[in-house]
Amino acid sequence: MRALDGPALAAGVVLGIATIACNQGRGGEPRAARSEGPRQGGQVIVGLTTDISTLNEYQSAGESTEFAIMDLMFPSLMVEQPDYQLHPPSFAPRLATSWEFSQDNRILTFHLRDDAFWSDGVPVTAEDVRFTFTVQKDKRVGSSGLEFKDFISDVEVVDPHTVRFHFTRVYPYQLMDANDGLIVPAHAWGKVPFEKWRNTDFEPIVVTAGAFRLASHTPNQTLILDRDPGYWGKPRPYLDRLIFRIIPEASSQLNQLLAGEIDLVESPPPREAQRIRDDPDLEIVEFPARKWGFVAWNNRNPLFADRRVRRALTLGMNRKAIVDSAYHGFAQLAVGPVLSTMWAFNRNLQQSPYDPQQAAALLAETGWQRHNGQGPLTRNGKHFVFDLGYPATNTIRAEMAVLIQSDLARLGITVRPLQMEFTAFAAAAESGHFESLLWAWDEATKIDLTSEWCTPSESAGTLNLPGYSNPEVDRLIAAAREEPDYTRAKVIFDRIQEIIVEDQPVTFLYEAEDLVGINRRIRGADINAAAVFFNIEEWYWGQ
Amino acid sequence: MARWLLRRLGAGVVLVWLVATVTFALVSAAPGDITQRLSDPRIPPAARQRWRRDFGLDRPWPVRYAVWLRDAAVGDLGYSWLYHRKVAAVLGDAVPNTLLIASLGLLLEIGGGIALAIVQLRRPHGTGDRLITFASLTAYALPPFLVALALLYAFSYRLPLFPPSHMLSPDGELRHGLLRLLDLAHHLALPVVAIGVTGMGAVARYLRGSLLDERGQHYVLAARARGASERRALLAHALPNALLPLITMVGMSLPFLVSGSLVIEVVFSWPGMGQTMYSAALARDVPLLLGGTVLATVAVVAGNLLADIAYAVADPRVRL
Repeated sequence: MRALDGPALAAGVVLGIATIACNQGRGGEPRAARSEGPRQGGQVIVGLTTDISTLNEYQSAGESTEFAIMDLMFPSLMVEQPDYQLHPPSFAPRLATSWEFSQDNRILTFHLRDDAFWSDGVPVTAEDVRFTFTVQKDKRVGSSGLEFKDFISDVEVVDPHTVRFHFTRVYPYQLMDANDGLIVPAHAWGKVPFEKWRNTDFEPIVVTAGAFRLASHTPNQTLILDRDPGYWGKPRPYLDRLIFRIIPEASSQLNQLLAGEIDLVESPPPREAQRIRDDPDLEIVEFPARKWGFVAWNNRNPLFADRRVRRALTLGMNRKAIVDSAYHGFAQLAVGPVLSTMWAFNRNLQQSPYDPQQAAALLAETGWQRHNGQGPLTRNGKHFVFDLGYPATNTIRAEMAVLIQSDLARLGITVRPLQMEFTAFAAAAESGHFESLLWAWDEATKIDLTSEWCTPSESAGTLNLPGYSNPEVDRLIAAAREEPDYTRAKVIFDRIQEIIVEDQPVTFLYEAEDLVGINRRIRGADINAAAVFFNIEEWYWGQ
Repeated sequence: MARWLLRRLGAGVVLVWLVATVTFALVSAAPGDITQRLSDPRIPPAARQRWRRDFGLDRPWPVRYAVWLRDAAVGDLGYSWLYHRKVAAVLGDAVPNTLLIASLGLLLEIGGGIALAIVQLRRPHGTGDRLITFASLTAYALPPFLVALALLYAFSYRLPLFPPSHMLSPDGELRHGLLRLLDLAHHLALPVVAIGVTGMGAVARYLRGSLLDERGQHYVLAARARGASERRALLAHALPNALLPLITMVGMSLPFLVSGSLVIEVVFSWPGMGQTMYSAALARDVPLLLGGTVLATVAVVAGNLLADIAYAVADPRVRL
């Protein structure tokens, strides 16, 4: 799960440069005669807050934009489809034209295209797939995705265009795990010993096999990708060039979008969406992201150990008002531990209402009382007071913290919003040294609740920040992991969600929409939660 | 002189070591580490522990410190955890970019400051002098980011004369030779002015004061008595002596030439040391942070040393 945040300095926001709208001409479009339908040519300039740190996925920390850019240059066996609302995601062919499982489901055979080439003219073959697997499995390389290959014992080259994955067990995500990771060039990168992979700059020896190839990269400035004329996939891109401009400051990005100097901005702040909407040359694309946010109550802390207290805190917050205000309508209320856009979501879960009276009653049950219904909430002479941590760079969560403070003050609870530097905030969450935190996860399409909701284990590490522990949930999660049939797994997931919502180890706050500000004349873009550049081959400049 | 130089160099080495050690202690004590970057939604917590082992973060800090010190002593600053390249190479990319805007900014600051002071001295306490004093004090008092944003607003958005960010335009990135240089110069204008304008006021204030002092000195009167014009007495006689304090100022600015200004670099998306070190600090890229700190400290030591030497050269009364 990914902790959401970005180092966006607030400096520029102060001045706002609010009324900037001098269009200097939008220079990315191709200079072709007027015609209907897609046209070849042109470039799209994209604003990024941080540069990519590597062109090699197996050095990467898995940052989503970095992966999206590498995905334009390197092939994968298949393309995961954004259809996870109905069932576990399906896959479309990419380097593999087809695939099939053996009868016992332990061998997965991929048939590869025979017309795929690397940018230096060398064919892409089964050897590259096998080489990629050895890279992924090698501890010296230290790929962050090493664990995805835990149940793949070997990748066998049958012939140059056929490759077999051997599994040690049968489980629901075999296709997803086999497909994980971009294929890298054995002939070019195989020359670098694995012990040197972590500290090798792969840019000078980059060989690609995607729709785009590297044209130039000035660190922390500009990354230019050109359409690869030798690209073997279908369809081939209409655009000639993609330019990524690194603009660290969020308001500068927005201003450059409004001024026509860049054509696309990912995740503009929700409060700025209207400015983009008001510009006749721009539009805002919104789509349900796989992001959800919550207040993590430290279940190990005696203050939050009783689930009645946690439920009271949820009832005492006007969550709808908090989410609407902070997200300006670009988020909806979250209800439980599985996103409402996922196939495994339990549609029978009930939203917890805003009910301060019931909250006070629940608190009274646990011994927390106010003198004559006024003043601070106390138990045994001790006030109900706690810190609520949030990352310093995140203005949305800062606003939420203040609204939560205000709502809970009506119950006599003192909340102390605590702004923290992001890495320190993440470290506090990981170590469990906090009282409560405003946290968010970027949810994967592979539904596995182990890391987030199983009883934390010291040896394996955990993402279960609140320290939630319920043996019944542990047992059910293990059962769901083993269940190869997703319809039967869904029944188990439904029960897990019911228990977790009942226990309220966290207060579920929001499921965010993602926003993209884009030049209205770019056509054909299907921007979705899978990737901003999901169908980049089909983008073109309209009239 | 040689003994003095040796003593200063020795003290410099000790200072660099001290600063590196303190930095190491601070970075080690700061909560969080490089593994907080692992952000793929599917990465299990075990991967974080594996990374810690791979980066040696599971070893006690004295061991990590000793290893770093041993390598640094022979000039090996190690590899950046964030960029997967040698620290020296990452710094080698960032330092020239910072040097470029900071040195041009400094030149503008000094040149502009001198020019302003001379204009002010034409009629001290007159309207022009007061106006310039007011303007230069205001510029000096303004936070650099505000000056930078005001410049952007005025000359990039309202009057689109200069590009708002980056060293080169997208087209310029793929150009070579003169066209690339012209593109670079176009992009340099606003950040250099932003740096220069804020410091210019301080230089002008300094120089105006010391020029006023020098102008009343006997040697200036003697020059005038020998028939030198007012202008010549000021520029040829008083100015060189009035410039002495500026040598210290320039020497003190030398570290800034290397360490850069985070605010200016962020506002103008300029890929210099400020941004590099900021990213390193956020990511807890220990080798890069230490490398950058060592470099900045070396610049402080060198700056002070050069200022002292320049002082001795400029003023024969100073003996090293």
